Amino acid sequence: MSHEGGFSGFSRGEARTRTAKTLNFDGSSSGILGKLSRLPWGFILLIVAMALIGIAMLYSSTYTNPAEQQLWKLQLIRFIICFGIMIVLALLPLSWWMNLSWLAYVGTIVLLLAVEFFGVMGGGAQRWLKIGPVAVQPSEFAKLAVTLALARYYHGMLGVNGSRFFIHIGAAVIILIPAALVFLQPDLGTALAIVASGGVVVFLAGLSGRVILAGITAAAAAVWPVYQFVLEPYQRGRVDTFLAQLFGSSGASTSLGESYQIEQAKIAIGAGGLNGKGWLQGIQSQQDYVPEQHTDFILTVIAEEFGFLGATAILVGFAILLGWSLYTAFQSASNFGRYAVAGATATVAFYVVFNVAMVLGLLPVVGMPLPLISYGGTAMLTAMSCFGLILSAYLHRDDKLNTTGLF
Amino acid sequence: MSKSFHPDQEFSRRMLMAGVGGGVVWAGLVARLFQLQILEGKKYDQLANENHIKLELAPPQRGRILDRFGKPLASHRRAGRVTVIPEQLKDPAATIAAIGNYIDLSETQVQRVLEDIRRARIRRAAFLPVIVANELSYEDFARMNVHAVEMPGVQVEMALTRSYPRGRDFAHVLGYVARASQDDLERLTEGKTADEATTIERMFRHPDMRTGRQGMERFAEEWLRGKPGFKKLVTNAAGRVIDQIPDERLAPEAGKDLFVTIDMDLQRVAIERFEGESGAAVVVDIESGDVLAMVSTPAFDPNDFVNGISGTDYAALRDDSRAPLYPRAHGGVYPPGSTFKMVVATAALETGAIKPTDKVHCNGYYHFGNRTWHCWKKGGHGTVDLHGGIKGSCDVYFYEIARRAGAQAIADTAHKFGFGQAWTLGMTGARSGLVPDPEWKLRVRKEPWYEGETLNFGIGQGQLGVTPLQLALMTARIATEGHSLKPNLIGLGPKDPDEHVLDAHLDAEIMKLMKSGMYGVTSEWGGTAYSSGDLGLGGPRLAGKTGTAQVRRITAAERASGIRKGEDIQRELRDHALFVAYAPADNPKYAISVIVEHGEGGSRTAGPVARDILAHAIRTNSGRKPAWTKSASISPSDDEGTPT
Repeated sequence: MSHEGGFSGFSRGEARTRTAKTLNFDGSSSGILGKLSRLPWGFILLIVAMALIGIAMLYSSTYTNPAEQQLWKLQLIRFIICFGIMIVLALLPLSWWMNLSWLAYVGTIVLLLAVEFFGVMGGGAQRWLKIGPVAVQPSEFAKLAVTLALARYYHGMLGVNGSRFFIHIGAAVIILIPAALVFLQPDLGTALAIVASGGVVVFLAGLSGRVILAGITAAAAAVWPVYQFVLEPYQRGRVDTFLAQLFGSSGASTSLGESYQIEQAKIAIGAGGLNGKGWLQGIQSQQDYVPEQHTDFILTVIAEEFGFLGATAILVGFAILLGWSLYTAFQSASNFGRYAVAGATATVAFYVVFNVAMVLGLLPVVGMPLPLISYGGTAMLTAMSCFGLILSAYLHRDDKLNTTGLF
Repeated sequence: MSKSFHPDQEFSRRMLMAGVGGGVVWAGLVARLFQLQILEGKKYDQLANENHIKLELAPPQRGRILDRFGKPLASHRRAGRVTVIPEQLKDPAATIAAIGNYIDLSETQVQRVLEDIRRARIRRAAFLPVIVANELSYEDFARMNVHAVEMPGVQVEMALTRSYPRGRDFAHVLGYVARASQDDLERLTEGKTADEATTIERMFRHPDMRTGRQGMERFAEEWLRGKPGFKKLVTNAAGRVIDQIPDERLAPEAGKDLFVTIDMDLQRVAIERFEGESGAAVVVDIESGDVLAMVSTPAFDPNDFVNGISGTDYAALRDDSRAPLYPRAHGGVYPPGSTFKMVVATAALETGAIKPTDKVHCNGYYHFGNRTWHCWKKGGHGTVDLHGGIKGSCDVYFYEIARRAGAQAIADTAHKFGFGQAWTLGMTGARSGLVPDPEWKLRVRKEPWYEGETLNFGIGQGQLGVTPLQLALMTARIATEGHSLKPNLIGLGPKDPDEHVLDAHLDAEIMKLMKSGMYGVTSEWGGTAYSSGDLGLGGPRLAGKTGTAQVRRITAAERASGIRKGEDIQRELRDHALFVAYAPADNPKYAISVIVEHGEGGSRTAGPVARDILAHAIRTNSGRKPAWTKSASISPSDDEGTPT
């Protein structure tokens, strides 16, 4: 076997397959029990641990408030349900995921349009859609749907066309339609997250460096016009506040509005020091100084009560989850598996980055929860579905999914 | 060919880049955590503490005022109240209205509170509580306590309020405290540096701070006030105080207790003995000069002033014809009448104008110039010497010796007894009275002194004006046979304000003659107060002197204008009855002066009052060792009672 351009090794899937076969591991691999036994339980245990930490922090930030005292139980029930969903998703053959990709994508677009026309206002934006008793945020599902659609798209295109420039235009369309709909709600944060995680997939699919550079230049040039003409006044206010506190101008010390939230968050985090004040002992956390503390700003509770060590541990936990996920993408035999896992990983990663950077005052306040840890059902479901997809890709990493074409 | 696309290779390469990129972002986030929590952690920790720990000015607890045996005359009482912090109110009117749902607030109260809130905001003192309602009943307190939780910026608390447990008894001695007015602030900051003045002004803005407005409370302000401290209050994000952190170093320094020389029980007995008549009585301990009782009745209740007295209540006090606001004992100026005769006799003896044995014949009147001057006793006293003149209070004798001594000599001697001198003793409202003399008359009245005036002077009438306190001091100086006795009202407290007046020099032999005369008054046949001489203690007697002070005649115009009611006119036409005495006569311990306004005869009304007060003082040994000499062991309870 000769190789152009030197030895490139086996394709990853091939190597894995051979090892598995050599070790004769795939005897009972097709049954559900077999699949369960082959799940990466260390990874799952870490997910459970992070969620339980989140529930403990939720308890700490709400137990003094009679109206919120019971939220931790609700969150625990949600986690149990989402955990079940994750395991079920993990057991789904990867081909099912692939075959459902376009359906999920189109369904999400329909839901987003429905929000546009029938949605419920919440927090100043139209994000919620009531389906019977359940209120959902289709913008959350959009993240996973875009990931699946992109993976499906590249799976069909790369094999046939290689990484030519034009195929990435199709990917951009797949990303931008739902992103635009989400942006119109308006939900700037989620729109950016969709673009960002989609962008990562496009990057991984081999978009040429020159195009990327040009794109970055164009984006930089668009910053000011977008700020000036596209953003809603409240969004502009957030950006202003953010810049003011980032550069330490006088606006930082006002105790009102957005700046108040960032300032109090920083105080809470800083006050934690190295070891923190101990569970239920945070001054800021226990007296409701930081708005949205049990949802988007839950990290301030961790940072204040468990200090630098606690907050860093959470980041390390995410790094392990995401790093292992990347490794799973690396191991996948199919393009769909690779790009789907990479997209899901990027989705969760951007959740974490946006949330943590926002809480730490490095980004403007955008409504972005910390996956697994923040209170809230939709974000939990999104994150757990992403992990379900990653686990499924892991279980079926040797599956080559030899479909060609887009459909 | 080598440039051809290898999806796997390219994917791996880009994957690595993405992983590295993610790692860099992660490291950035951890670095930011490090910056905030480790590098700047101290700063934020402090901010977190400041966030929830609020330093609030804690007013010092004002020192108590105790009687000579340590019984509280001015102390503290716990009272429930509602306050609001203006800066925490979104809509003050709505909040006050909400409070009005639970406790009774009149429209004027509501308006006052809103005005206070508005002013606090203008003065940038919106962080200080404004009192909405004081002296809550127990039910109101409990109800407000439950509902205040729902009202940000509203506090329900127990506060210590200045209290005068003896009410009216010591009103004119102690005065009262009140919220500092602009005038008070100007007085309190007078002569202070700008910094000190600012501190004082800030402190007095606190709704719990009171300043002495009158009396001992005002004189001893700095002694009683103490130093303010701070309370460390824990607040939540809504600004509601949820806890208090004790901190010894910030605690306010309580004011010092002040002892007055008065015997609370003697004072009470004395007031009761007036049986509702208006008048004054001063009891002085002859050995120490301690004032044991200082009665001025009727009086006002200083408790009414602590939280501000209403305009109508104050007007009622001010316009009361019996003048409860008037501090008779040290600020009431009366003609001393015959009680002044010892001064006249002393002057005549000192100047050598007479000898004790010189005799004067009294047949009831005295011719001088082209006028006739009457003795109070129709038909006269016959021939009297010094002893007889005092005993019978013979006006003719004193016309004669006054004329011989001359007005200037009498005035000089009067000064030596302490007349013409304001004895504040730490009180407000003390007056000096007036000791007239030729020089004074020329200067003030632009008229020469007529010798006929000397005759009036000789029987304690005319321009002469004295206070009951001065009369008691005179009596004490006679009783000690001329010691330069100085009256004190402050047992343990700030420096005595009257230290400069200590120069009386009275001849002991002459004083013995005075004592003998005063003994005659109460204890010899023919004495004007023979009936009051026995103290009723089975032995000890008192020695004294009666007096009658002529009351200024009410003018026809006043009568016609109808300002005064008919019965008042009748009453106010009557003369004041005076009596000065010391007891026991053979070994004097206490001196007293009593004036019963419109009591007519000194022997008939004032004498028995003086006798009974002296008897009580002797029986209970009022002048015994005071508490402040062993003050370490004295610590009577702090508060009395709970809110009703």
